[in-house]
Amino acid sequence: MEDIPWGLIGPLVGLQLLLAVIGLISLSKAESVRGPKWLWAIVIVLGNLIGTIAYFTAGRKDV
Amino acid sequence: MRSVWIFYQKEMLEAVRSYRLIWIPVVFILLGIMQPLTAYYMPEILGAAGNVPPGMLENYEVPSAAVVMVQALGQYSTIGMLVLALITMNSISGERYSGSAEMVLVRPLTPLAMVVAKWAALLTVLVLALGLGASGAAYYVMELIGPLSWGGISSAAGLYGLWLMCAVSLTLLFSAFLRATAAAFLGLLSAAAFSLAHSLLPAWFDWTPAALPGLSAAMLLEDGGALRLGPLLSAPLFIISCIAGAALLLRRKQLPG
Amino acid sequence: MMLLEATNLRKHFGKHTSVDGISFDIEQGSCVALLGPNGAGKTTTLRMLAGLLEPDSGLISFDGGQPGGDYRKALGYLPQAPSLYGWMSGQEYVLFAAKLSGLNSREAADRGAEVLERVGLKEHARRRISGYSGGMKQRLGLAQALVHRPRLLLLDEPVSALDPLGRREVMELLRDIRDETTIVFSTHVLHDAEEICDHIILMNRGRIAEQGPLASLRSQYSLPVIRLRTEKMSGARKWLEELASRSFVLESRFAGEDVMFNVNDVELARHTILSEAVSREIPLLHFETGSSTLEDLFMKVVGA
Repeated sequence: MEDIPWGLIGPLVGLQLLLAVIGLISLSKAESVRGPKWLWAIVIVLGNLIGTIAYFTAGRKDV
Repeated sequence: MRSVWIFYQKEMLEAVRSYRLIWIPVVFILLGIMQPLTAYYMPEILGAAGNVPPGMLENYEVPSAAVVMVQALGQYSTIGMLVLALITMNSISGERYSGSAEMVLVRPLTPLAMVVAKWAALLTVLVLALGLGASGAAYYVMELIGPLSWGGISSAAGLYGLWLMCAVSLTLLFSAFLRATAAAFLGLLSAAAFSLAHSLLPAWFDWTPAALPGLSAAMLLEDGGALRLGPLLSAPLFIISCIAGAALLLRRKQLPG
Repeated sequence: MMLLEATNLRKHFGKHTSVDGISFDIEQGSCVALLGPNGAGKTTTLRMLAGLLEPDSGLISFDGGQPGGDYRKALGYLPQAPSLYGWMSGQEYVLFAAKLSGLNSREAADRGAEVLERVGLKEHARRRISGYSGGMKQRLGLAQALVHRPRLLLLDEPVSALDPLGRREVMELLRDIRDETTIVFSTHVLHDAEEICDHIILMNRGRIAEQGPLASLRSQYSLPVIRLRTEKMSGARKWLEELASRSFVLESRFAGEDVMFNVNDVELARHTILSEAVSREIPLLHFETGSSTLEDLFMKVVGA
């Protein structure tokens, strides 16, 4: 595990985090979402890529 | 066509406010760079998961740079296309059913101008996402596996983008007269049916947009292989018909119920 | 001068005929109320005038122009439940609307600020529309309909969804606006129409029942009437029905124990009714002579 190429894995992890953070920001600002907000927060945090896509396409009501 | 520009600006502002302009490119980059990483570290990933019969990993060979790049672009035909269809489905449908279409079409804005502006905004998102995604994938492939020509990569990505844009345009057409979910479903279904038809009867469908992913792969694998005119001409025609059809349907059915 | 002439407009949806051959003129500078109960065809008529619906037949001519000509630049329109982009601010929406109607960026900015101030949204101009109240949204709807100085303003039930306070605000605004432009607004409330309009087009079931200047309709329908109410009892009911067929009664309307007679001779009617009530020992609760109002006309048209 010492020779993990962080230069390549780092961006992957970073982007995953970025995506989750964008999702959470959007969620916190949203007036209303389909279903409870806390549930979407869990989906975004645990479901990383797919969870955030699901939130943006199915969870958000407006735009 | 000043009204197209005004409406396009509104669409782009909406894309920013809804975070679409950020999250879709991020998803495309992630999809793009995951493919070379999994291809290269397959033995480690399998090993970490356990239960791998000994000896099986010894024969694992990392595919060539071109093959991995083709696979990376192929990612966009599944999750990528799903994402695109889901953001397109509401595009016209949402405005029709909420009544906001009524409030803009009562002004000197033609349905065609509205559809063209929406299409251009979707194209902008797609170009941004695919451009960044394909560049990310190519960078990882070159770092991990081997060299690729940037010319081949851009033409391959361009052809793939044209295919995706066909699916987006078709979903936009459905969105002009159906409910959002029905539009996304039909858009995706048609794209899948088209691809399937092409793989079953390649001779018949070789000139259609469905041949574009294959053509895109050939750009990388055969290094500037045969660029056939059929799909390159039929795809823009197909897109234009979708836009014209959407405008016509919107003119006739702009008020639901 | 006529601003708009509509001739024999007709529109049906499936088997249902929504508007059934109506003709009317809108005079420049007038304020016209399209009055009628729900389902009378008011919204369909407005949408045809706005160019959002193609009439099945009939012609609309704007400002003496060719029928079918495009006059959308000169049009302001506010639908019944305006759907404004919630993610925009009030200011952004008004500017967007102004630019779509052909104003350049500077004109749009100037006019936008002007109309937002006028509808009382200056302080809220930078807030997102999704956070607006119903009354604020309706006022923003008016602002976007006014921003490009339209020559004809079409408003679909502009006050019916508002609470009394919001209703008051919007009515005051309309009273103000009618001096600047021609207004056509639909309503199912006679009182709203009488409050700000000078012309009335009374619609029911897709047809125009009556139209004309408010003052002349008032005098035309100011007929002598007698209203009376008796206690509930079979003899009284029989007597009332009998009265209805007397020669001095032109028309009668029954609503429970309440009766309204249009009469041609008030003296004779009063004398007959009162003396018969005494001789037959009818328990009268209410007796009134007066003249009919537009309310009576409205009720008659709607009830028919």
